[in-house]
Amino acid sequence: MKNRDFILITILSLLAFLYLFPIYWTVITSLKPNSQVFTNPPMFYPSSPTLTNYYQSGSAAGAVAQSATGALPYIVTSFVVAAVTSFLSTFLIGAPSAYALVRHVRGKLWIARLILFTIMIPEIVLVVPFFNIITHAGLLNTWWALMLTYISFTAPFSTWILIGFFSRVPKVIEEAAEMDGMPAFQIFQKISLRLVTAGLIATLVLNFVNCWNEFLYALVLTLTPYNFGFPPYGAQTSQVYISSFIVVERSVAWGGLAATGVVTMLPVLILGLFFERYIRVGATLGSVKG
Amino acid sequence: MSRESLAPPKDSDVLLIKKTSSFETFFENHIGLFLLLPIIIYFLVFLVYPVGQLVYLSFTNTKGVPSLTNLFSLATDPYLSSVAFNTIYYSVGSFAAEFALGFIVAFLLYFYRGRLSTFFRMSYSIPLMLSPVVSALLWLLIYNQNYGPLNYILSILHLGQVNWLGNSTYSMPALFIVNMWEYSPYVFILVFAALQTVPIQLHEAAAIDGMSRFQMFRYVLLPNIKGPVLIAALLNLIGVLKSFDLVYVLTYGGPGISTTVMSFYIYEEAFSFFQDHYAALLSLLYLIVMAIVVSAILKYTPIEREIGLKS
Repeated sequence: MKNRDFILITILSLLAFLYLFPIYWTVITSLKPNSQVFTNPPMFYPSSPTLTNYYQSGSAAGAVAQSATGALPYIVTSFVVAAVTSFLSTFLIGAPSAYALVRHVRGKLWIARLILFTIMIPEIVLVVPFFNIITHAGLLNTWWALMLTYISFTAPFSTWILIGFFSRVPKVIEEAAEMDGMPAFQIFQKISLRLVTAGLIATLVLNFVNCWNEFLYALVLTLTPYNFGFPPYGAQTSQVYISSFIVVERSVAWGGLAATGVVTMLPVLILGLFFERYIRVGATLGSVKG
Repeated sequence: MSRESLAPPKDSDVLLIKKTSSFETFFENHIGLFLLLPIIIYFLVFLVYPVGQLVYLSFTNTKGVPSLTNLFSLATDPYLSSVAFNTIYYSVGSFAAEFALGFIVAFLLYFYRGRLSTFFRMSYSIPLMLSPVVSALLWLLIYNQNYGPLNYILSILHLGQVNWLGNSTYSMPALFIVNMWEYSPYVFILVFAALQTVPIQLHEAAAIDGMSRFQMFRYVLLPNIKGPVLIAALLNLIGVLKSFDLVYVLTYGGPGISTTVMSFYIYEEAFSFFQDHYAALLSLLYLIVMAIVVSAILKYTPIEREIGLKS
């Protein structure tokens, strides 16, 4: 018995190593001076760790990613867009719709199916119409373009997740309030909403992560095809920033890019570790981002 | 529908009747509609209108005149069969890799009940948080032909160096590996969560009967988590069918068109070759295919029961 547990722990540790190694490798790459990034044999730990890849000044939006500091404007864009979109779609769209579907509307099954269906629509299918709409509205390469289009996946997703939470709240409390003559909207606002606080947090976190990680809309609406270059940075998110160095500019200061990657993954990693429980909830209820 | 269940008092029975304006009464009586208003607007703006535009673009030419040129292009598109093949190859390969690993990891961790289990669970979940673009960056460093750690380990084992992303034989498997790394955590989380719901009494019964771990897996655990496993499988399949970002950053559809999947092909048609009418037709077809897949999921999996929509 003991022996078999030892084998199990060995296998599990090996798996943990495989899952964590790419992250470890990127972190140490970001800590190596540029001369040591590519060596043969590769260095599995930084012999002379340095932080220059993080704060070194250089052409911020020039041809080569010098350091993570240069990516700051892009990270700010990512943050603002993700924060605003996830907040609006959780409280303004997701919560009221989910509540209405669970408590007030007949035929909710069909509406819920429609919502599930929209969650599963590939982003690529809507990209051509969205590009046309945003172009005609004159919003290309703005924060507005991203916030408006991101709602297309955060809104149905928030509703879907919150349906699960609202349907688990017992009706008795709301019915008691109704008997006391409380207006229906106040019941929603002051009672039901409070009862699904955990669900609201989960939705906010998952929306934030999904928006932060979104790539296709950001790429199409802020980079291609009119400004396939760098400055002005306009509304490019840090995902687009990283990808454009890899795809457009093949000769890259990999140390600086790795540092940018570390800074870009840090917020979602922290959120993931703090809200692991909620991430699991989201996965269970069908979060599909491709 | 909640109202009937408690047999609410009629107006005449209620002692406390508040005076309200007619708008308030209207609002109160149609509260469901008002709360649904945002998502109805959403459906019109982000779904009905774009899909309508897809249909319009599909059946007009660049001058906006109704025509069937796009259907003709579709019938004569020399790349379409390769793209369809790539899409299926990519989806099946990535899906099999993700699902197999996530499933095995969930069971292994389930049988381990020690102090490190939280650490293991966290490490297996982390890649899911990262964006495809960041994952692609991570794996570009790993896959680097001359200086990457993967080829270094292969060369130590005398297996030779592989040009992972630049060789059309290996480019697809290379994408499978990245997909497996990034999305097997998703399967792991779902299956592991389902395993936690298997009642502990079944364990005790199995232990008394002297079952081995494999027998327990086969006869006790597997039948009890069939529903959630099915859901995990089908949601993951949708995930890989949607996949665009990894292909864009890691291979840009290449080398040649060896990794050009449908979503990347649509992107290229629309934004590299500016054939937005043809791209719209492709999008429409893709949408129909996805609709069929999703309907199958709704029909054949207990997903609606799982979320509490149906009892």
